Amino acid sequence: MTATKAPALSRPVARRPGLAALRLLRLELCHNAMLWIMPVAVALFWFTAARKTLGTPPLWNLRTAAMQPNAVLAFACPVAGAAAWMGSREHRRRTTDLVNITARPRPARLLATWAATTCWALVAYLACVAVVYAVTAQQATWGGPLWWPAAVAAATVPAIAALGFAAGTLVPGRFTAPLVALAAFFVLGLSTQPIHGSQSYWQISPIVAGAWDLGPNPEVGTFFAYQPDLAIAQVVFLAGLTAAVLGALVLPTGAGVRSLRRSALAVTAAGLLAAGTSVALAGTGRLDAHGIIAIPALHDSASDRPLRYTPVCSHTAIPVCLHPAYASYLPATAAALAPMLGQIAGLPGAPARISQVAATYQQGPDNSVSIGVTGSPTSGSSPVFRLLLPIQLLGPALTTSEMAGQVRSITGPSIMASVTGDGPDASQAQHAVTTALLMAAGVVPSHLPGPGNNVPPPGPSAGGGRYVALAPGSPAYAAARRFGALPAAVRRAWLTQHLAALRAGRIGLRQLP
Amino acid sequence: MNVEITGLTRRFGRTTAVAGVDLRAGPGVFGLLGPNGAGKTSLLRVMATAIPPTSGRLRLLGRDPLGYGPRREIRRRLGYLPQNLGYYRGFTVAQFVEYFALLKEMPAGRIPLAVTAAVDRVGLGDRSGARLRTLSGGMLRRVGIAQAIVNEPDLLLLDEPTAGLDPEQRVAFRALLRDLGQRATIVVSTHLVEDVGAACAQVALMDRGKVIFQGTPGDLTARGEGHSTGDAPLERGYSAVLAAARP
Repeated sequence: MTATKAPALSRPVARRPGLAALRLLRLELCHNAMLWIMPVAVALFWFTAARKTLGTPPLWNLRTAAMQPNAVLAFACPVAGAAAWMGSREHRRRTTDLVNITARPRPARLLATWAATTCWALVAYLACVAVVYAVTAQQATWGGPLWWPAAVAAATVPAIAALGFAAGTLVPGRFTAPLVALAAFFVLGLSTQPIHGSQSYWQISPIVAGAWDLGPNPEVGTFFAYQPDLAIAQVVFLAGLTAAVLGALVLPTGAGVRSLRRSALAVTAAGLLAAGTSVALAGTGRLDAHGIIAIPALHDSASDRPLRYTPVCSHTAIPVCLHPAYASYLPATAAALAPMLGQIAGLPGAPARISQVAATYQQGPDNSVSIGVTGSPTSGSSPVFRLLLPIQLLGPALTTSEMAGQVRSITGPSIMASVTGDGPDASQAQHAVTTALLMAAGVVPSHLPGPGNNVPPPGPSAGGGRYVALAPGSPAYAAARRFGALPAAVRRAWLTQHLAALRAGRIGLRQLP
Repeated sequence: MNVEITGLTRRFGRTTAVAGVDLRAGPGVFGLLGPNGAGKTSLLRVMATAIPPTSGRLRLLGRDPLGYGPRREIRRRLGYLPQNLGYYRGFTVAQFVEYFALLKEMPAGRIPLAVTAAVDRVGLGDRSGARLRTLSGGMLRRVGIAQAIVNEPDLLLLDEPTAGLDPEQRVAFRALLRDLGQRATIVVSTHLVEDVGAACAQVALMDRGKVIFQGTPGDLTARGEGHSTGDAPLERGYSAVLAAARP
């Protein structure tokens, strides 16, 4: 230690609070626990969110909607834990007296620490999102990224950091951080349990990316414009929650400072108001026909119309046309349907085109939701068979070959049935002809659902076109085998002449050749 | 006067740590002596505005610290080294001192120079890039002194500043105190009477929350004449005053 004079500080000197705040933030950034937890957060994201997300079909809507809840859950634990750890730092390191007697107000000091935690968490999150979006951009064949789901997850980061930080500050201790991390995971994970139907206040949970009972909806952003009603409510809720928590955190320290106390109170009140309003709005959301949660107060009806697109079509006997977003599925879909389409192409009443359409959603009692195509599966003077791909429906994610298998075994028979007029109320002859055509197309009965079952097509829920499987050994099955074994030209000639009568139910089994 | 204390009392529940203390101190080094539990640390914490007094009047640097504005102005011109220095293990010496310079609202443009100067003055210039977790106890104490003096305080409060310092460092530290005391008021709480004798112009002795002696080190030495307890004259004075104050 030396007694030499230090450079004298001439007073007064102009203070630049902005620069000082930036330096404080820089120091906090250099020594923030979140910096060391980032690899954990990224690993969690990769092994939970990214793999699940990138395992879905390469559609922007599916990918972004799948990413939102998974990303929130992946980041919840590390962010909450790191924030709680930083919040309890002064107590753990016993610097409370030392920092409390400094001139800079405690709120500024705490906010700098919270901001540094949030910054690193956001950097990690945005890097992860960038990877998912970059991969999707290379794989997707139509459309562009949807930013609202990513924004909801991004808004969750400061909110979770604020909650964790507040917990660490108010209940400082070594075990606070791990407990807060676990609590964050379970609170978020369980936040969807009380959701019953579309009109639930709990839809405000950031892990809800749409109608909770349905999961990611492939219609939105492809057939219909994405409506961010719920996402807006969630972002406002999270921003309000963040403001309320931070305002409340700095509130007690404003004692003796009326203006500071008033500001903190105003921020807390505004945050609570915003959060409360958002929850109320989420409770008014209802499932609309396009399968999204529409909140009347936030809904933009002007944008609520089908998107224009030019379908991509196959060069099969009957063209199969899909939405360009599903272009990667066209070869497999067309290949699965081609043998069957070859059997019916050119017959009277056969569809001129197989065209993919959007599903219609309807909320039923409790949590039930019906999804399908309203009306007849075929429509128009030049009949068009309206197709729903299996990946447009609820269920586990399908590979392309799995989806093609379902198209072959379910959609194909439905198309055949729509030509013969088959269905539960149809004649035995209609059942037999449909089965014969399928046999002729190489779709052996073992590929089809069990005998006696009405096989609902993937989508059309009304009108004709339901294949009814036949029991082997039955007279109808024998007639089907006989008819299917005829030379193609003979079979086609007979169908050209008798299809109208067959559809009208005027032909019996014995009249089949 | 930079420190004016009148009838100051501080209680923690039923315990009275500081009982009606009167104290005045201008520029120079002021030693606060006393046995363990005498109330030195509590008095220093009140003077550091870490805790408010239960009763009594306190003026620091000509201001009343009870008001937020004056308190903030006092804190800008205050340096404080607590008895148990908490620190952030991952910070380097320079970063830790810079952190407190920022918290003391020093002008941002002056901070780098002030940090370098403070670190140099405590003899850690060559370790300014070292992480605090790698430093010895004595070095950490010097880091604590550096953060306390980084803002060139007008009022410097040091609680047991020489604890953990080796003899050579203590000598250097006393020289630093004398230098700083030329323009600032420095209150040093210690139970090492040799520190007081070497560096302080004024000294107060506390026992059971009260100031039982206030004067120069020479006055205290004089009180010890004829008293047998203690190796050095100042120690004998210390013991004599304490013995006289106790029933």
